[in-house]
Amino acid sequence: MKTEGDDEMAVQPTITIDQAMIDAYAAISGDFNPVHVDPDFAATTPFGTTIAHGCIPMEPIFRLVQSRTGQPAMPPNSRMKLRYLRPAHPGDTIGIEVTATLETGFEFRCINQRDETVIEGNVQLAD
Amino acid sequence: MSNPLTTFEGAELGREVCRGRIALTQEEIDRFCSLMGYDDAAFRAGPSGGGIAPTSMCLAFGLRLGWEEQVFPPGVIRVGDENTYGVPARAGDVLTTTLVITDRFERKGRRFLTYEMVTTNQVDDEVCKVRFTAILP
Repeated sequence: MKTEGDDEMAVQPTITIDQAMIDAYAAISGDFNPVHVDPDFAATTPFGTTIAHGCIPMEPIFRLVQSRTGQPAMPPNSRMKLRYLRPAHPGDTIGIEVTATLETGFEFRCINQRDETVIEGNVQLAD
Repeated sequence: MSNPLTTFEGAELGREVCRGRIALTQEEIDRFCSLMGYDDAAFRAGPSGGGIAPTSMCLAFGLRLGWEEQVFPPGVIRVGDENTYGVPARAGDVLTTTLVITDRFERKGRRFLTYEMVTTNQVDDEVCKVRFTAILP
């Protein structure tokens, strides 16, 4: 019997986040919120350090779809639903774990190196 | 001063708050691929023209519009997304993004707004629809 995640164990796309990546993403997204780009300010917040923009720890989801479909882009009309549960910080390595296989997609959680869930959600692939 | 249509009290649900247009360049795609470690021939310029953009790059189009137009208040916390992906964006595309506030609610003493950003290309094909809900500071 196949268990959830069997197909993904071999690929397990990850992304390792550093401050330079966050700074560069700030320039791309226009989001220069100091909690992302100002370590001194972030140290005064409950987060303790800067946090990554929410889209950065999403990257393993796209990588996993890429590896499953063999296509560089999401199939047109694909849907993604997700909840952000905790922030990702510089130094974190974010991976993805498939928690259930759906008829046209999968449920997942993006996890950090401490096995804490950063994002959870599902992807419905189309076409 | 912030646009009153972007505040919890002043938001008119479903009304367009702002619209932006960008011409996507191969250099921007290359920069994003380098940053995120994408290495696929489809993202690079070839004999037939510019490469496509990684799907995740498209998430930034609406965000950039929202921040540039001061729609999102500083300190806003994103809690969830419902996104739809359409045709890939390609270098040379002229992309138009519209931003609408679609929902507002209060829960446990916190105020939430839901923003929807739809990006289309020059032939009006939808590239992506990003709908995210955020806690207002």
